[in-house]
Amino acid sequence: MVGIPEKRDLRDFDWLTAILAVVIASFGVWQIHNAMPTEVYWTKQIYGIGIALVAFVVVAFTDYRRLIDSAPIFYGIGLILLLLVLTPLGVEVNGQKAWLRIFGLQFQPSEIAKISTVLMLAKYFGAKKGGSLTFREMLIGTAIFAGPVALIMLEPDAGQAITYFPILATMFFLSGIKLRYVVITLVAIAVLVPAAYVGGVKSGFVKRYQQERINAIIDPDSVDPRGYGYHTIQSTITVGKGGIAGIKGDTDTSQSVLKFLPEPQTDFIFAVTAENTGFIGCISLLLAYALLLSRMIAGAREASDRVGMLVIMAIVGGMAFQIFMNVGMAVGVLPVIGVPLPLMSAGLSALLSTFIAIGFVVSVKLRRFVN
Amino acid sequence: MKFGDSVQNLGARIGTIQVLAFLLLTLLGVRLYFLQIVRGDYYSDRAESQRVRFIPIPAPRGAVFDRYGRLLVDSRPTYNVVLSNEPLKKINVADRVDDYSKGLGLEPQFVIERLNLIKKQNEFEAMVLKENVDMRDISWVEAHSLEFPELRVELQPQRYYPLGTTLAHALGYVGEISPKQLEDPEYIARGFRPGDIIGKGGLEQYYDEYLRGRPGYRKVLVDSRGRVQSELEVVQPQSGQDLITTIDLDLQIEAEKRIEATPTKRGTIIATDPNNGEVLVMASAPSFDPNIFIRGRSTPDGRRAIAAYWQDEKRPLFNRAIQGRYPPGSTWKIPASLAGLQQGAITVEKSNLVCGGGIKIGNKFTRCMGSHGSPPLSYAITKSCDGYYYRLALKMGIDGVIKMVEDFGYDRRSGIDLPNEKVSQTPKSWMPKILKDEGKWPDIRTVYSGIGQDTVWVTPISMLRAVSAIGMRGQMFTPHFLKEFRGIAAVGTEGKSDYFPARPGFGYRDPEPRRLTAASDQWDVVIKGMWGVVNAGGTAGSIRIPDFEIAGKTGTAQVAELGKDVGDKKDHAWFVSFAPAYKPDIAVIALIENVGFGGSFAAPAVRGVYDTYLAKRPGHTPREVAAK
Repeated sequence: MVGIPEKRDLRDFDWLTAILAVVIASFGVWQIHNAMPTEVYWTKQIYGIGIALVAFVVVAFTDYRRLIDSAPIFYGIGLILLLLVLTPLGVEVNGQKAWLRIFGLQFQPSEIAKISTVLMLAKYFGAKKGGSLTFREMLIGTAIFAGPVALIMLEPDAGQAITYFPILATMFFLSGIKLRYVVITLVAIAVLVPAAYVGGVKSGFVKRYQQERINAIIDPDSVDPRGYGYHTIQSTITVGKGGIAGIKGDTDTSQSVLKFLPEPQTDFIFAVTAENTGFIGCISLLLAYALLLSRMIAGAREASDRVGMLVIMAIVGGMAFQIFMNVGMAVGVLPVIGVPLPLMSAGLSALLSTFIAIGFVVSVKLRRFVN
Repeated sequence: MKFGDSVQNLGARIGTIQVLAFLLLTLLGVRLYFLQIVRGDYYSDRAESQRVRFIPIPAPRGAVFDRYGRLLVDSRPTYNVVLSNEPLKKINVADRVDDYSKGLGLEPQFVIERLNLIKKQNEFEAMVLKENVDMRDISWVEAHSLEFPELRVELQPQRYYPLGTTLAHALGYVGEISPKQLEDPEYIARGFRPGDIIGKGGLEQYYDEYLRGRPGYRKVLVDSRGRVQSELEVVQPQSGQDLITTIDLDLQIEAEKRIEATPTKRGTIIATDPNNGEVLVMASAPSFDPNIFIRGRSTPDGRRAIAAYWQDEKRPLFNRAIQGRYPPGSTWKIPASLAGLQQGAITVEKSNLVCGGGIKIGNKFTRCMGSHGSPPLSYAITKSCDGYYYRLALKMGIDGVIKMVEDFGYDRRSGIDLPNEKVSQTPKSWMPKILKDEGKWPDIRTVYSGIGQDTVWVTPISMLRAVSAIGMRGQMFTPHFLKEFRGIAAVGTEGKSDYFPARPGFGYRDPEPRRLTAASDQWDVVIKGMWGVVNAGGTAGSIRIPDFEIAGKTGTAQVAELGKDVGDKKDHAWFVSFAPAYKPDIAVIALIENVGFGGSFAAPAVRGVYDTYLAKRPGHTPREVAAK
């Protein structure tokens, strides 16, 4: 399956996308170092990038259509791994069983299964010829999506589960879902979510700490700074403190080193970036993401088939959503939900999954002139 | 789009996703602009305030010495258990009360007060939980360091009174500033904070401003749990100024011993140098141990001991020398004699007044203790003839008595450098009440005012001051303890925040030296009478010292009516004196409560002080006084 790169391959290879991804990831290593200079997270992340790059190259130079053909197998493997998490093989951290340890290797199957779900959905919707999305297709698509998401909710890992939604939404949107459904869905969200929240508070279904986290967004001054609003308040302070150009190497007094900022190397890596590099660094990072997403979308437009287009766009949708959720949380406009920042947060599973995803993008672009 | 479909309109849909993604990123950019550019300084300050803490470094108070440089009070380092603010913020402090009070042997009520106090503190991070801890306490804190990270042991200066009960009333003690004082604008202006140590009572209170050092602090970097990461700045404290008092420790100890030797063991002895008002002795008994106030605050035993002091009927915390008011009895006759001469009620040439064995006012006869005929002034003093002074008071009239009260300063504080001095009660202060209750001032009250009873209640210090002025032929000084405050050098670098300027030394300056005026022979006749009390068969003839002429006057202050003056209601015994009679170097007064006749108990107590005084002259070297 893995083709030997030909001269033509190297010419058509999307260097810019690959380099952007590596640059962002390297920038991430620096920030992980800033977050915890005395810990090994940043060195581990460098190894992670090495491994991820190998996976990236392999996927990029493999014909994605072959891989899509095997999507059901990958999807099956993904489901099995998610099931295994729930067995004693799963590792529990902070009340969540999100990790799997096999042969001394610890990873997060929900990240890996994200790729297989994308492939499975792309295979299904890619076979579609044209016309509007039918109810039957929506049902099947939802079923494919529901398998892994249900298992992830059992861990429970709401943050990871949420990142699956934009994948399905993109699939539906680009498979010709009628615009009125889109409008109805948006209106329903706008009405039902606040209603559900109020109802949830009244019925006690929404827990006290969840309410506090929401309140910390709406009115940060009224929330107990040492209570459940702590994460949001500390993250906001950390970001604001960065100012225009960051704290310029004064790491001894940084929010993460003094442990005011929780989870600085993973969930709050953006706050660390903001503290260390300031507004200039943050905007540069967001521009880099924008450029990366643009390159990927351009690739989708050039894709030679529907499957390729769907794979890329699902990845774009998922990634854009994750960036928004994570940074939104760090700057205090969204409640605290554990969503990693793509390419930046420390963690091999997320890194691997993202690089594999970008590998698919490059693979699709490589084959844009075929057929 | 190679596989386009007009229904799906894919190009536009992809474009929509792209626009949506960029919109969201722009939104984040705007938020970042707000947080980092608009509010950057605000968040920077918030971050700093949560990572910077100030740990106070207490400054040692100045030491206190007697006039020969013997140590009366100092500060020595003790181990204290200190309570940290930060870790407590995340826990329910009520859970700790039991643990601390059991583990460190503290009074639960005290622990609750402490925890409530520290909860209100933000800027400063620590307060003392228990002082003067022993190895057992220290090892308890170490053993529970994981469980109670808010506790630590620190070496801090603590006030120490090596002589215990000796001179306790004059020295006072120190303690934490009270919540009431903290609300006082005067204390707020001086920058006091909860937990600060200030003087309470005595010289510790009066000269607190000078004795108190200026505390320094350590500015430290803390992590989110309040653990110190590094030191950012240290401002060293400046010690307080050392106080050299006018006290002569040898005389002081002797005086206390003398009161102790009396039947009731209650009373006061004061000695001053009449030439300048320096206080050589101020004994008040029963006394208290100031160290109990220093160490006992937090423990159940200590709190009981402190409560016992407050509840004791004998009032050990009460400084009888300046707060006790007693009828002066016959000692009052000394100022009365001079006032009679000054006002012309009697003259040196014709000073005789009838004794008559007493006087009849209306249908009530008030007795004299003897029958003295028609004695001249000196004889009346020497024999303490009441009949003479009944008539002298009537001749002076109550206005004359009030004039005397004003001349001798009985209507105001002596101005001694101690807090809480009481003003004597006199006909002057009683006048409004008597006029209101009885319509007029009755003659019988004038008669009683001539012998220091009824409306006359004076503090021993005011009596000593008045009689010393007679010995000095009119020169009247303010009694005081301050001989010298030593200067202290500047600390830190001038112009920097760690700078404490040098505090210069200074001596005592009498705010109000007064002068009584009388003719030379008028002084002579009064002093001669006093001389006779000791040296010519007077009421205190028993304490006569050859070659050292004491001029004095006994007094027996009636506490209850005749016949009921037994046991607890026995008369107070006075003796007031100066010596040598015609050129005094020292003045001594004794008041012994409820022992009866002044000549039997008060005069011998004073004699003891004179003996010790004489033993030291000349070429005397002060002996070592060991700590009790």
